[in-house]
Amino acid sequence: MKASAALRWFSRCYLTLIFTLLYVPILVLIGISFNDSRNPFVWGGFSLRWYDKLLGNGNLMEAALNTLWLGVTAATLATLIGTLTATALYRYRFRGKPLLNGMLFTVMMMPDIVMAIAFLALFIALGIQLGYFSLLVSHATFCLPFVVITVYSRLTGINPQLLEAARDLGASEARAVWHVLVPALMPAIASGWLLSFTLSLDDVVISTFVTGPTFEVLPLRIYSMVRLGLKPEVNALATLLLGLSLCLLLISQLLLKEKK
Amino acid sequence: MSLVRNPFKTATLAVIWGWLIVLVLAPTLLVVLVSLMPENTGQLLGGELSLSTLWQGFLTNYGQMISPVYLSVFGHSLWIGLITTLICLLLGYPFAWMISRASPRLQPLLLLLVIIPFWTNSLIRIYALRTLIATRGLLNDVLMNLGLIDAPLRLLYTEEAVIVGLVYMLLPFMILPLYAVFEQLSRPTLEAARDLGANGLATFRHIVLPLTMPGIIAGVLLVFLPAMGMFYVSDLLGGSRHPLIGNIIKGQFLEANNWTFGAAISVMLTLVMAFLLLAYYRSVKLFKREVTL
Amino acid sequence: MQGTRFPLRAAGLMAAVSLASVASSAPVLAADDSDKVLYVYNWTEYMPDEVIERFEEQTGIDVVYSTFDSNEAMYAKLKLLDSDNSYDLVFPSTYYIDKMAREGLLQKLDVSKLDHFEDLDPNLVDRDFDKGNQYSVPYMWGSAGIGYNPDYVEEGALTSWNDLWNDKYRDKLLLSNDMREVFHVALASLGFSGNTTDPDEIKAAYEKLTQLMPNVRAFNSDAARVPFMQGEVDAGLIWNGEVYQANQGGVPVEYVYPKEGIILWMDTMAIPSNARHVDAAYQFIDYLISPEVSKEISEYVGYTTPSLAAKNMMDPEVRDNPVVFPTQQDLARGEFQTDVGDALSIYQKYWEQLKTGH
Repeated sequence: MKASAALRWFSRCYLTLIFTLLYVPILVLIGISFNDSRNPFVWGGFSLRWYDKLLGNGNLMEAALNTLWLGVTAATLATLIGTLTATALYRYRFRGKPLLNGMLFTVMMMPDIVMAIAFLALFIALGIQLGYFSLLVSHATFCLPFVVITVYSRLTGINPQLLEAARDLGASEARAVWHVLVPALMPAIASGWLLSFTLSLDDVVISTFVTGPTFEVLPLRIYSMVRLGLKPEVNALATLLLGLSLCLLLISQLLLKEKK
Repeated sequence: MSLVRNPFKTATLAVIWGWLIVLVLAPTLLVVLVSLMPENTGQLLGGELSLSTLWQGFLTNYGQMISPVYLSVFGHSLWIGLITTLICLLLGYPFAWMISRASPRLQPLLLLLVIIPFWTNSLIRIYALRTLIATRGLLNDVLMNLGLIDAPLRLLYTEEAVIVGLVYMLLPFMILPLYAVFEQLSRPTLEAARDLGANGLATFRHIVLPLTMPGIIAGVLLVFLPAMGMFYVSDLLGGSRHPLIGNIIKGQFLEANNWTFGAAISVMLTLVMAFLLLAYYRSVKLFKREVTL
Repeated sequence: MQGTRFPLRAAGLMAAVSLASVASSAPVLAADDSDKVLYVYNWTEYMPDEVIERFEEQTGIDVVYSTFDSNEAMYAKLKLLDSDNSYDLVFPSTYYIDKMAREGLLQKLDVSKLDHFEDLDPNLVDRDFDKGNQYSVPYMWGSAGIGYNPDYVEEGALTSWNDLWNDKYRDKLLLSNDMREVFHVALASLGFSGNTTDPDEIKAAYEKLTQLMPNVRAFNSDAARVPFMQGEVDAGLIWNGEVYQANQGGVPVEYVYPKEGIILWMDTMAIPSNARHVDAAYQFIDYLISPEVSKEISEYVGYTTPSLAAKNMMDPEVRDNPVVFPTQQDLARGEFQTDVGDALSIYQKYWEQLKTGH
């Protein structure tokens, strides 16, 4: 079948092309992190000095771990609530759906800075001390619409009779959702989680306003290092962060992949 | 199903509403309130709150927006957002399709490969992009060494550079929702279509496209809306020569200390986008109804 | 489709993580009412870790260090924080001191409590933005002038702000993305003060700037030496510290103090009115303006120390480098930025018009 072979060949080329485009800046980044010279436009030889400098900076490392932990927990929280929201919107009839949709949409549309100040005012008014908790809750909130949209779009393609069958067979709502709906939604849930994690790792503005002195996160530090100094340690930091995220992923894969 | 006999549903709704009301509704109302205040000091809640002062505030803040400057920035942001979304769609749609057709063992890996670059901080990635396309950057070096160009291309600080940056930042937000929907498209459905005599194009138009439409809409939403606000991309790759609406809002809040006006612009932006999306949604709904038998 | 085990495990893992996260986030009860703590809020990358650590060792005070990247963000946060979350020491730039003091955000200082205050350069204390240093103590300062690449621009071609308007720099100039600074350039070129609140003068500056726009390649938001290094621009508005660091890194950039007057900036230390550990704050301020420490900070950040004693301790190369330490005459022509109050919205309006091409 010449047509399908050609199609497959074209597929592979296209995939490779896009991947290359995605990765070239990253590879440049990783490459520069090993550059001995301070000037990224001049190659000075292979060296680990920036990693050295970085790892010696306990402050920065702590902020990195804080950021990763925040990302994981915020993404998980957002995914949990987002999935519940999407399923509720799709399956249940209740009053106020337009309001719910409106609120989700508002979160997506509101610029970072506006949300940041609004959150700050809210936390102060409620007497919540600024720190990990305020960050967690803010991050989960702004990731929420992304999860809802992703999961909802997948829901529309699921056969509704599947769930009805489960209910008819006597399963409670909770069990039906857990054992039938969630597995069917898994790719969307996973996508939502990944998107949320990415968003959380990157957030500068909201984090700046909503965090307290006890919980320093990385994005603002990186933002300033890049802006103020072209500090080569930044590239080493980015590479390390990448590595750490990958490890996290591998660990979670191992935990989940038993008996396959 | 009554609420009493369905504790799960009750609990779910309670959690959702609780969360959203406290963390979304309350702050939003706060923003709207601020946008109606006539003072432009940095105070969030200073001054009296009578209806007449609110009306005054409304006129001042929202009235200011009807000016060529803001209208042009808004139009420009829409334009940039549109192009970015289109490019992401054109690049991402086939990409998601191809991933979903790969062997099941490979799929999670491919997906991860897409998103892993985005676990480096986005600012650093923009910076790496800058290093690539700068006048003395890698791209120009390679092109000149290959003899393809004589003088370096001035790629940076242009609108095109901003679009490239935005696409680069937002591509996975298009790919992931699309993948989630493509994955649902089972082979038997497609084979059935072929058996019934439909060729590739017809299958695409009548089966694939409608079934993946929710994914397309999701992807468009997740790309278009953030694209209008990414002010740092416009700053770093565009040299701030072509500000987006996000830049203006940030400027009002941070540089001019004019929180009331900044809040007003945000509210306006939300309303306009909601209107546009509602119109789009209505038209897509019609399209869907036309297609489902 | 994968088997049911995978999604269940995944979901279970997620649930566990959520519970753990909520549990671990129980707000920490602030048990820091001892005087041995100090909450500092400074610019990012503005103080070497060793400086902080040594202070902690010497005094036993635990320094909790947070950072911000713009005056406006710092100001916004300070306005909203209550006394449970307050900072003890902040680092505003000159044009925020007046504003914050007027709004009651800062407390008055008693500089007699600072042993090293006398070491400071007399030219830098008691200036317009804070007469008598009632609210602030200098931390680091610098200037913004004209930088150019000697490979593409001849020496002596650029001696005044007005030179930038020359056609030969079409699409070759760099300006910073700072509204006040850019307007200062235009105002100075017209002979006005950079801190004017006169709407006519501001309008004149705006109109002059529209004529400069064809020359402007970019408004830079990050390290100004980068576009020079990238080969994107030949000249432009740049801070002296950036020039110094570029030169240290082997990049050729020359610095000029324009005839009409240089733009001076200074970051200062101030104590918020709701600070909880005022004594510790005074100790830290005194520590930071002591000669050895100030010298060390200056070498780390690449900007100029306000302490004469520290200056005398530096290498002659650095001490005599006009880029780092301008001459008396240059300093006399310089102007620090002060708060312009409500006129800020006039500036902002013209700034937006300038950027969008109207």
